[in-house]
Amino acid sequence: MAEYIQVFRRALGQLGGHGGIRGLFYQLFRVNDLKTGALIGVDKYGNKYYEDKRYFFGRHRWVIYTEEMNGKRTVWDVDGSMVPSEWHRWLHCMTDDPPTTHPPVSRKFLAETHKFNVSGTREQYVPYSTTRKKIHEWVPPKAGSQ
Amino acid sequence: MLLSSVLRTALSHTVRRVRRLHQTAVRSGAGGALFVHRDTPENNPDTPFEFTEENLKRIDAIVKMYPEGHKAAATIPVLDLAQRQHGWLPISAMNKVAEVLDVPPMRVYEVATFYTMFQRKPVGKYHIQVCTTTPCMLCNSDSILEAIQNKLGIKVGESTPDRMFSLIEVECLGACVNAPMVQINDNYYEDLEPKDIEHIIDELKAGRVPPPGPRNGRFSCEPAGGLTSLTEPPPGPGFGVRADL
Amino acid sequence: MLRLPVVSRALSGVAHTKGYGAAAGNVRTAATTASNLVEVFVDGKPVLVEPGTTVLQACEKVGVQIPRFCYHERLSVAGNCRMCLVEIEKAPKVLNINSVGKSTHWLLWLAVMVLEDLNPVPVAACAMPVMKGWNILTNSEKTKKAREGVMEFLLANHPLDCPICDQGGECDLQDQSMMFGSDRSRFTEGKRAVEDKNIGPLIKTIMTRCIQCTRCIRFASEIAGVDDLGTTGRGNEMQVGTYVEKMFMSELSGNVIDICPVGALTSKPYAFTARPWETRKTESIDVLDAVGSNIVVSTRGGEVMRILPRLNEDVNEEWISDKTRFAYDGLKRQRLTQPMVKDISGQLVPTSWEDVLTRVAGALQGAQGKDVAAIVGGLVDAEALIALKDLLNQLNSDNLCTEEVFPMAGAGTDLRSNYLLNTRISGIEEADLLLLVGTNPRYEAPLFSARVRKSWLHNDLQVALVGRKVDLSYTYEHLGESAQVLQEIVAGTHPFCKNLAQAKHPVVVLGSACLQRDDGAAVHSLVSTIAQNVRVTSGVQDSWKVLNVLHRVASQVAALDLGYKAGVEAIRNNPPKVLFLLGADGGCVTRQDLPKNSLIIYQGHHGDIGAPMADIILPGAAYTEKCGTYVNTEGRAQQTRVAVTSPGMAREDWKIIRAISELAGITLPYDTLDEVRNRLAEVAPNLVRYDDVEEANYFKQANELSKAVNQTLLSEPLVPPQLTVRDFYMTDPISRASQTMAKCVKAVTEGAQAVEEPSIC
Repeated sequence: MAEYIQVFRRALGQLGGHGGIRGLFYQLFRVNDLKTGALIGVDKYGNKYYEDKRYFFGRHRWVIYTEEMNGKRTVWDVDGSMVPSEWHRWLHCMTDDPPTTHPPVSRKFLAETHKFNVSGTREQYVPYSTTRKKIHEWVPPKAGSQ
Repeated sequence: MLLSSVLRTALSHTVRRVRRLHQTAVRSGAGGALFVHRDTPENNPDTPFEFTEENLKRIDAIVKMYPEGHKAAATIPVLDLAQRQHGWLPISAMNKVAEVLDVPPMRVYEVATFYTMFQRKPVGKYHIQVCTTTPCMLCNSDSILEAIQNKLGIKVGESTPDRMFSLIEVECLGACVNAPMVQINDNYYEDLEPKDIEHIIDELKAGRVPPPGPRNGRFSCEPAGGLTSLTEPPPGPGFGVRADL
Repeated sequence: MLRLPVVSRALSGVAHTKGYGAAAGNVRTAATTASNLVEVFVDGKPVLVEPGTTVLQACEKVGVQIPRFCYHERLSVAGNCRMCLVEIEKAPKVLNINSVGKSTHWLLWLAVMVLEDLNPVPVAACAMPVMKGWNILTNSEKTKKAREGVMEFLLANHPLDCPICDQGGECDLQDQSMMFGSDRSRFTEGKRAVEDKNIGPLIKTIMTRCIQCTRCIRFASEIAGVDDLGTTGRGNEMQVGTYVEKMFMSELSGNVIDICPVGALTSKPYAFTARPWETRKTESIDVLDAVGSNIVVSTRGGEVMRILPRLNEDVNEEWISDKTRFAYDGLKRQRLTQPMVKDISGQLVPTSWEDVLTRVAGALQGAQGKDVAAIVGGLVDAEALIALKDLLNQLNSDNLCTEEVFPMAGAGTDLRSNYLLNTRISGIEEADLLLLVGTNPRYEAPLFSARVRKSWLHNDLQVALVGRKVDLSYTYEHLGESAQVLQEIVAGTHPFCKNLAQAKHPVVVLGSACLQRDDGAAVHSLVSTIAQNVRVTSGVQDSWKVLNVLHRVASQVAALDLGYKAGVEAIRNNPPKVLFLLGADGGCVTRQDLPKNSLIIYQGHHGDIGAPMADIILPGAAYTEKCGTYVNTEGRAQQTRVAVTSPGMAREDWKIIRAISELAGITLPYDTLDEVRNRLAEVAPNLVRYDDVEEANYFKQANELSKAVNQTLLSEPLVPPQLTVRDFYMTDPISRASQTMAKCVKAVTEGAQAVEEPSIC
């Protein structure tokens, strides 16, 4: 009996733990899930990291993305690459020590501000071709150069 | 010590006797050996060359020998004229010949490179051509060659620093009966001994051209020891014919 | 008679019986009557040939191929490779033995045996004229042995570097040593080596491979008219070269690559790129000049590897010009591969076909009638021309112009005879007098010029020129520079009129460059009058045409046949709102000539002069990438074939225009190439009668109409645009994009040393 009460309480907690009805629907539409857990930390961009060990391994750590990051509005348009590298380790269970308790060693090659993945955008990296081009296309002159 | 000196003499003798493998006159330096032209300070298209008035008249006479439209036939004599005028044939002289005869320069180059007697490199004032083909060699032309080399201090294919003499080895010049022989410019000097050639060179150095011909007292190519055949008067008609005819 | 070089005259002892009939080979001469034919036997098979025919030609007649290296049908006979040795059984001279006293006949017989030498002897088939009754044994033991021996000597000094030789696979020496050579070598000595020559950026020489067949020398002096090659030295040291450091810079120089039977002369741009057996060959047409040379495009993996000539006796024989042969690398550079539009900043940015087609269609819908105009360039095929014309006509516009000017006064382009090379290229061989007006055929149409040279060399063609003095590679009478000379000729006061009056088959050729001038109509009218006058005085048949116009671009005749206006004067006078440039890279109209807000659409295959000024670019196909109809300056319709696919998003030109028409709501009534050609046949049926020349006529009427032209002649001299070989290489978008052609220009101006070559060459 007590078990069912426990389940019921968790259900109530999940329904009510997002800030009322509005919060509930906001969370449901945005995250597609209503999990609640212990807030482990918030990074400087506002991404919130949660953990609940009662879930199956692999589902026990998650992130609720911030609503604005690096000048981009990320309410609906979220992306896995918004997680900065120090939290990425924890989130992917490479370590159990979150950066809140174990601050990351600062390296000069680590970016000050985390960057999104640019795949599929104009800035994406394309490896240069090592084969000879069969056709060299015409490159139009820059406007205003003549 | 004694033995080694004997050995050395023997060795040097055999080495002297071993002549190098046959090479054509084309290869051994006559005419300039290389069959492509390379500009040098003394031989380039700007080397001054102009036919003299006299020679231009000669060219006219030569060209007139051939039918109209066949000026190209005069290439060899006109090239020869150019060589006689200049001593040898720089590229500018060949171009001039082409211009005079109205043929493409390449056709003149073809002729000039074909004949070994067209000198495409500078030669001395006296161009000595020593025959070392078999009949002359058997009559010891090697000694003549050696005498010239010692006298002038040059080797085959070279010319003296004052550009007076140049020396090449040639194949048969058709004077085998008077072997050994050398040709100096247009003159044949025949029946030579080493001392004869030294004398000839001395004369040339002194500015005199010694008379061409045999040096052993022969007038021409008659047998050296008197007639050995045809010694009796010729038989009359009917000689050796069947009696019944 | 005296024009043949001495060398060839001396070597071709063949021709004495019949003038130049045999030595000249293919120069057209009257056929001999059947009565004086000679009967010979080839391996026992009888064949009747003309006297003076060589043994080799007689064998060819019965289909027996004799191996050869130095012999070439279009060159004089040299007879120096000895590969064509065959055994000949001579027929004994028929002696009337009975008339001689019986006691002495055996003595005579013996004398005949000694003098005639009835034993079979090997002779060089290429240089030996046949005699009556000879039996030629092409496959006897002795013949085989002779060939084997010659082959052994040839291979004695030939390097065995076939694996790294570019001729490998199409090498005469390779093939013939397989067929006729010995299976082993007895040669143990060292081989001779010859220094390579640098004769320009087109031809790579590996002179050690040379077998001294002298084909290149004879080609240079007889066909190209540039006596730069020759043999130097003799014997084992003989070599082919230029003796002095010199480039072989002829407009036909590339042909020595084809005639070289070994790998001594190969193509520099093609070096080490492909093997002949791995390329796919497409028979096509060249469009870089107005001659329309027939070519074979060799491709591999969707890339043009090289261009070779194809035999067409009426057009290019078996030669092509250097531009035709080597400008193909221009097809791979500066290409328009995707549609482009100008963005707000005025920068051309790539976009999709849907985008550009709707934009163009929208612009055409908005503009009607005189707001739309089109200019076509020199490389456009007839299919695209007709599609564009139909499209604009649907919009009630007839502003369709070609870049090349042709005077519209008088009969203008209404009579075809006014703008064709009526005599035809092969007709020059029958001519006895040629008057060139304001043209330099050597660079404007090298193969036409080669034909003139051939006729000059073998048929004593008299050539005269009005215009700037140029080096034509044959001698000519220079009548003067200005057009006033033409007036004098018309008036009959010029001394040259005497020669004109005596001509039996006169030809007058007017260069299209003259017509670009402001007094083009007057010049054309004068030339037309000269032609008409000469025609009357010479008393030739109606079939003989005198007046000729030599065009410089491939599309001009087709455009005029289809009713395009020549010259962009109309567009300058009425600037349109929408200007459609179809391959127009001449720079005739610039943005300054048009109103500010006008839209320029460029359709073509190269980003050259037209593309940068356009607002919308539609990428088209080049001549190797489409099946298109071109009409050469004679009026001969020929078609190109698809050798490679067009690069990127480029499409065939008529298809693009068809797509535009559909989006603009005025769909053109053809969907396939055949339907386009049906439409072509409706407008100008001669355009689809391929390889056929539609004759033009009404010369007299055209001349009468031209007399109405009232234009004053300018005093400036008639100067063709291409004066020296330097001007020859870059004349159109393709050759301007070609690096090889750029190298040629550099080599001509700065010398062969200035051109860097890859170190492996």
